[in-house]
Amino acid sequence: MSSLLAQLFPPSTTRNMELSADVLIILTSAAIIYYLTRWHRWKYLWREWLTTVDHKKIGIMYLIAAVTMLFRGGVDALLLRAQLAVPNNHFLGPLHYDEIFTTHGTIMIFFMAMPLIFAMFNIAIPLMIGARDVAFPRLNAISFWLFAFAGFLFNISFVIGGSPNAGWTSYPPLTELAFNPGVGQNYYLMALIVTGIGTTATGINFLVTILRMRAPGMTLMRMPMFAWTTLVTSVLILFAFPPLTVAMVLTLFDRLFGTAFFTIGRGGMPMMYVNLFWLFGHPEVYILVLPSFGIFSEVVATFSRKKLFGYSTMVYSVLAITFLSYGTWVHHFFTMGAGAAVNVFFGLSTILIAIPTGIKIFNWIFTMWNGRIKMTVAMMWALAFIPTFVVGGATGVMLGAVPADYQFHNSYFLIAHFHNVIIGGTVFGLLSGVYYWWPKMTGRLLNERQGKWAFWLFFLGFWVTFMPQYALGFMGMTRRMYTYSHGFGWSSLNLMSTIGAFVMGAGFVVMVYNFVWSQIHGEIDVTGDPWDGRTLEWSTPSPAPEYNFARIPVVTDRDAWWAIKQDHKSNVIQIKPQEIQDIELPKSSAIPFLMGLSFFVFSVGMVFSWWWIAVVGFLGFVVCMLVGTFDYDDHKEVPRQVIQNTESALGRLQG
Amino acid sequence: MFNRGSQRGRRVIAISPNGPTGNGDEVEARFLAPHFESEGFPWLQIFGYIGSLLLTIAALLAVVQHILSPIGLLTVILILAVAQAALQLGIFMHLRESRGSTWHIITLGLGIVIALGLVGMSMWIMTFKSGVS
Ligand code: HEM
Ligand SMILES: [Cu+2]
Repeated sequence: MSSLLAQLFPPSTTRNMELSADVLIILTSAAIIYYLTRWHRWKYLWREWLTTVDHKKIGIMYLIAAVTMLFRGGVDALLLRAQLAVPNNHFLGPLHYDEIFTTHGTIMIFFMAMPLIFAMFNIAIPLMIGARDVAFPRLNAISFWLFAFAGFLFNISFVIGGSPNAGWTSYPPLTELAFNPGVGQNYYLMALIVTGIGTTATGINFLVTILRMRAPGMTLMRMPMFAWTTLVTSVLILFAFPPLTVAMVLTLFDRLFGTAFFTIGRGGMPMMYVNLFWLFGHPEVYILVLPSFGIFSEVVATFSRKKLFGYSTMVYSVLAITFLSYGTWVHHFFTMGAGAAVNVFFGLSTILIAIPTGIKIFNWIFTMWNGRIKMTVAMMWALAFIPTFVVGGATGVMLGAVPADYQFHNSYFLIAHFHNVIIGGTVFGLLSGVYYWWPKMTGRLLNERQGKWAFWLFFLGFWVTFMPQYALGFMGMTRRMYTYSHGFGWSSLNLMSTIGAFVMGAGFVVMVYNFVWSQIHGEIDVTGDPWDGRTLEWSTPSPAPEYNFARIPVVTDRDAWWAIKQDHKSNVIQIKPQEIQDIELPKSSAIPFLMGLSFFVFSVGMVFSWWWIAVVGFLGFVVCMLVGTFDYDDHKEVPRQVIQNTESALGRLQG
Repeated sequence: MFNRGSQRGRRVIAISPNGPTGNGDEVEARFLAPHFESEGFPWLQIFGYIGSLLLTIAALLAVVQHILSPIGLLTVILILAVAQAALQLGIFMHLRESRGSTWHIITLGLGIVIALGLVGMSMWIMTFKSGVS
């Protein structure tokens, strides 16, 4: 018993900070359970959300999860910055600091950015291409639940069993059992394996959806740009995630079963881990940023009231980026010393990628040129992206110059670079998408004034936080240092960076307030087309009914909805009763949730090496697969009468 | 389980019922039209599954038994891997169907180029073991 307790609650989980977290977690869970029970919401939760296979609801769940994770990762970031605010600080100890930056990085990439991207895919793509759902709705729900349970698993590590502490990249030998006993690193490995399976399935799902389910008339070259970037992101996922999974599984074998894939003393090759990780890692950074490129293209075109400038160049440069991004991964470990030829090759390929990226920037600028620009919050995020991303891209090219990288590598210059591109590119883009598609998801508009406050706080905070870090990098401050002495002359820049971080935190708080306030008091979107949009999602009511389109639209032009609005000046949204047919839709299912739960149980067994629990989880998974395989009753027919009533209630029926 | 067309000959879920329009999408529509093999007991798939398991176990045994020279071992597990890839592509990935063969060739070609490129470049990168700079 006491050994079990020692395993579950090692010293790193009984520090004051972790104990206070325990209290908060228990109180919050109790409050949620009380609320659900008091208002009899359990059944509703299960029926409408936990078992849903509707892409719109899955998108909303991804969004909620991502914002929650942004909070968790953000609190971690503020703790790190608080520690670095002044020299010789002892707010966090060295191990504690390691645990927090590991959690911060892993959560931000895998449990914040990725689900936020999938939220955008789910919310927008089927509506944009005129489809009734994704190609494999149940698989879509499985992806979500694998992600959700993996995220849950990763998040409990710091209070039960101990947090991982080897960085989001988790290189061996630091992750090998000899140097990292305890279960923390197992949490990292299992969480990434499980969420990786879900991500791969999402890649397959959206690849097939976009290739197979476009509305009639929507040729590839008539697709909205966001559909293009989703398509190539899916392809990138398919090739990028397998190397990650392999690296994780091999490390897990080393830790649990005594193999020595990455143990030099026994003939293993730790550098192979680094190679595999970045084989995944570099495409991953493009997985993160390409969806945002798509969102900018939609937002900039809509709010400039012009069609996207240079559509086909955009498509080709996206394809070029995709292809090139497979050939640059060594730039993350030039200093490993692979030799001049290797480094020169990858240095050049890295710098090459800046060209198609630059082309896209010009396309957005020319789209705005002479446009009638409307400064909504969505547009402000898109505009803010341009200068920010240009700085990030330029410092990326500096890092790609091999001799220079020997100086910059793993300094704060690198930290500033990737926050510059990930926040300035990925996060700004996704927030632009959230403000843009929010009415479509919820039926209400976000308050613009609050949104602008959030924007300015976050945007200015961003510059104050990260510009000093470039300078700190030049001054010799390396990443992952937990403290520094006064004599280095880094103190004022670090203090400035910390202040900026807290300003960003304030921006986040205002944004969440904005979301909640607007859900209660926000203006209701009655038209379904609040921005005078150009693509098909704006032809549906907000929020779209379960079947999305009562009648699948026929596409004749690139900006399909805009073309329809130009053609028929009036009454574009009402359809005739005789045009309505029965619609087949996928049925809700408990299997995705139960499958996620099985993976969770399995993972807990693996993390703690409790094999019988792992076996139980695995059997649960097998049962879910079997039941699902023979479940032919997986879809339902919505009769035309029901659709007619819904449409008429929405005022979308003629006569 | 992932919503294939069900046994009772119903339509595949949620695909646009209107079909191609003649606006340039018919080529894709023809290549991508779903096509399910005739139904019956899936002997072939079960054979493919067991075959894959056997090939994997053979590779594992070859490695843990230490009976082959390193070069011989590499050759054997490479052959087993290629055999398994071929088996899976043929049985599970609809590679033997003539419909949509253009898409098969494009995607398979791209896949092979990328996979070989990644493996080849990784080997090149890892040659640093012979002389760290
Ligand atoms: C013009 C385009 C870009 C170039 C030339 C570039 C170049 C580089 C180089 C050379 C490094 C390695 C530096 C070192 O470790 O010493 C690096 C690191 C990184 N880059 Fe970029 N980059 C570009 C765009 C991006 C984008 C768009 C993202 C993500 C949205 C991104 C995310 C990252 C991340 C996360 C790291 C560091 C990971 C780590 O070590 O933990 N980069 N970049
Ligand atoms: Cu990279």
